[in-house]
Amino acid sequence: MSSIQEQMRARARELLTRGEVKMVIGWEKGTFWYLSPPAFITEPEDCDRLVWDEFCTNNLAKYLLDYKFTEDKIALFVKGCDSRGIIRLLQDNQIDREKVYLIGIKCPGVRDGRQAAALGEERRSEAPLAEKCRYCTHPEPVIFDELLQDEGGAAIREAQATPEGRFAEVARLEAMSPDERYAFWTGEYDRCLRCYACRNICPACNCRECIFDRSQSGWCGKQMQRSENMFFAITRAMHVAGRCIECGECERVCPEGIPIMALNKKIIKDLNELFGEYEAGVDLEARPPLGQYKLDDPEEFH
Amino acid sequence: MANEARVNPLVPRTGRIIKIVDETPDVKTFHITTDSGKPFTPLPGQLAMLSLLDVGEAMFSITSQGPEHLELAIKRVGMLTDALHEAEEGQTVGIRGPYGNGFPVEELKGKDLLFIGGGIGLAPVRSLINYCIEHRQDYGHLWIIYGARSPADLCFKDDLFNNWPKVENCRVDVTVDRGDAGWQGHEGFVPAFVEELHPDPAGKVAITCGPPIMIKFVLQSMEKLGYKDDQIITTLEMRMKCGIGKCGRCNLGSCYVCLDGPVFTLAQLKQLPNEY
Amino acid sequence: MLKIAKDKLPELLQAWAGGAKVFVPQDKGGVSVFLPWEGQGNLTLGEGNTLEPPKDLFFPRTETMYRYQVQGKEASLIEVPSLEEKRVLVGVRSCDARSLLLMDDVFLTRGYVDEFYRQRRENTRVVALACTAASPTCFCTAFGIDPGRAEGVDVQMWPVAGGYLLEGVTEAGRELLGQGSSLLAEAGAENIPAAAKPGLAVETSGVTEKLQRMFEHPYWTAVSRKCLGCGACTYLCPTCHCFDIQGENRGNSGYKFRCWDSCMFSEYTRMAGGHNPRPSKKERLRNRFLHKLQYFPERYGKFACVGCGRCLDRCPVNVDITRVIREVKEVTL
Ligand code: SF4
Ligand code: SF4
Ligand code: SF4
Ligand code: SF4
Ligand code: FES
Repeated sequence: MSSIQEQMRARARELLTRGEVKMVIGWEKGTFWYLSPPAFITEPEDCDRLVWDEFCTNNLAKYLLDYKFTEDKIALFVKGCDSRGIIRLLQDNQIDREKVYLIGIKCPGVRDGRQAAALGEERRSEAPLAEKCRYCTHPEPVIFDELLQDEGGAAIREAQATPEGRFAEVARLEAMSPDERYAFWTGEYDRCLRCYACRNICPACNCRECIFDRSQSGWCGKQMQRSENMFFAITRAMHVAGRCIECGECERVCPEGIPIMALNKKIIKDLNELFGEYEAGVDLEARPPLGQYKLDDPEEFH
Repeated sequence: MANEARVNPLVPRTGRIIKIVDETPDVKTFHITTDSGKPFTPLPGQLAMLSLLDVGEAMFSITSQGPEHLELAIKRVGMLTDALHEAEEGQTVGIRGPYGNGFPVEELKGKDLLFIGGGIGLAPVRSLINYCIEHRQDYGHLWIIYGARSPADLCFKDDLFNNWPKVENCRVDVTVDRGDAGWQGHEGFVPAFVEELHPDPAGKVAITCGPPIMIKFVLQSMEKLGYKDDQIITTLEMRMKCGIGKCGRCNLGSCYVCLDGPVFTLAQLKQLPNEY
Repeated sequence: MLKIAKDKLPELLQAWAGGAKVFVPQDKGGVSVFLPWEGQGNLTLGEGNTLEPPKDLFFPRTETMYRYQVQGKEASLIEVPSLEEKRVLVGVRSCDARSLLLMDDVFLTRGYVDEFYRQRRENTRVVALACTAASPTCFCTAFGIDPGRAEGVDVQMWPVAGGYLLEGVTEAGRELLGQGSSLLAEAGAENIPAAAKPGLAVETSGVTEKLQRMFEHPYWTAVSRKCLGCGACTYLCPTCHCFDIQGENRGNSGYKFRCWDSCMFSEYTRMAGGHNPRPSKKERLRNRFLHKLQYFPERYGKFACVGCGRCLDRCPVNVDITRVIREVKEVTL
């Protein structure tokens, strides 16, 4: 069996040559060995740019929104978490299933690029798994049109996964006193640049017009200061409540290294405790806990 | 500039609206002065940053001035302009300026001038028309072609129908897209009207201002009539914040519309990226 | 040429702190940023550049411009007091020192002087620190910047075994060194270490001329596809100077402030009527690169990039300006 990367290139070339898709979105090598940013391939002869390595972290699902208003069919490579992003967008009626061709990859887990960079290229093999992969419950895509074949990616992956740690950071923060917790979060979010990278990459954040792009609306001031930053932080977290697929992308893209996932996971944990276990972006038919109405809702309606 | 260095150019002076004139259902002209008289003395075509302190600030063209005041004609399009339209005489405002290059009044000397305006686009052009009337001997024939959607939408009616037609060696032609029961004048769009009137390009400079779509077709008409790119002058509108070439917002290529514009010849515009 | 032992540096900072507020790179939650020196702190003078450039100290993320009060038709405006605080900025790398000169062009020339910037700039002494080891993302030499000696600074420092060499460049700089004379010893200039060799290299000649002919090129569609439009690149860039002006209103009073803004955002150019001259990320990304590599050179005669590498390091999708420069030079027209 040929390597995932070879299969990727071959399938992309076939799809483009036969005109079955207009574009293939995958990954390519970036400036440095520890970066594999998104690649947009439209010509069959460019397919050799595609790579598959341990730094193909970027969730590509959100890019489909850029092509929402074109008629073109687009092929996309999806790891487990990426595929959950697709479900997310489908549930929100953001994309048309017919216009996407999903090529699934059984993901052995990706590695933390920043930590890899710090270790240096000689120690590439020692780079730790990305945080999200340590607790990943779906390394295999949950939705796809075809699945690339490999020997044992999933097995490697399962051996490394330690789902117990999923809420460890949340537990640490919950154990703090309110003042300590306030100091922790203000300390982190005081650095927030309000660049909105965390929002822009997120497959759960897909409002057509975000309130943070309408500063005239008066909802949130454009000042980069504590009160406005906090308002942004909380609003973003609440907007993805019950919809966050734990792809970890918001935290990865944050230029200021703010631990955004701790906030997301706190909400996931609370939702699980209040409404029962739910995993976003896994089952297309299951209604998200905050997207349905039940008479026995734990919160009373007034 | 050196002796003004200590004046903070981003902080407005307070002034007052002393008179409000209803031009059309959605355009009003505001007369503004300060305790120490006219806020500043602009050249025709220059701009002012006007604010209601608790609402917002935006850039407007200065349509005219008197010895003690400035006049800004403002169309209702958003939050600030809504609030201005609600304001009454006596209202305190913030004002700073003048900004921008203004019309090239020196270079236009001795030329016949053709003014083509649409809707609120007459506002900046009017400052130049009035300037030419004040300095009548410096300029040749003045020809004003102006149009609006309907008779009710015509701005500066007093100038169009009373003041300007009386000026020596000056002609005024007015059209509306669609007339009403009382309308005796011409009906039709400005670009077609211009072609109908076919002003001869020889010795002329045309100054045109109006909605982007009108400008686009006026420019086509001008080309048909034989006007060269450097015989056509227009003004641009961009979103502006600082007005002094610092905030970066109004750039067209390497030029800042707030400093190097808003007045450009068509020849200059064609050198700039098409991003307006 | 003077020398100070490494463990004496905090005392020198303390001496300066007597007459000014001292800012120096320190560790904050794992990242290196310019922070006020408060007697102790975890200095990060050895480990590459700060995550955020020092521009915030001259052109803050958010600053109040004036306050106002409104009572019916009456309104009054209250100016903020002038900024008198004296400051010493220590540990500025050559790239960031150049960026201050570029900011000077923007804020202090072309007819208008930005008073907020001028006051901060004139009240701040700059102590530069030479780079003897560069990050893999650095490419300052592409813009003729010498990592071993900064332009337009008051004092130049070099790291050497066991401490730092210092040279007073301006009168104000020599005065600063005079304040710490008991901590400083004479040293020979022959000890000045070799400057770092930046990790990236790119040849910039001809790129402006090429870009002048590339506005409509399909390259911009291709290169912008992956961009998230997040603006991280512009916020972290030491030379990006765009700002917005807005107000915050509470009852009868409020204040006007300016805050950083980014040409990567859709709201940036959107007009009151809804028309947006830069409707998609293609136009916005193009504007960012043209501003750095064509427009700024046309207007001020210099590139608006200092090769600090922050944008390509922190861009979530690795949009890399050195690659863009190379590709621009290669594409066929
Ligand atoms: S909130 Fe973060 S982890 Fe959750 S879906 Fe969005 S980007 Fe992914
Ligand atoms: S990515 Fe980080 S810095 Fe940017 S808005 Fe989100 S939290 Fe703030
Ligand atoms: S464009 Fe990038 S490399 Fe250049 S100065 Fe700005 S942040 Fe640094
Ligand atoms: S940091 Fe990267 S993704 Fe974000 S706006 Fe800049 S180029 Fe685009
Ligand atoms: S409005 Fe700020 S640069 Fe023109």
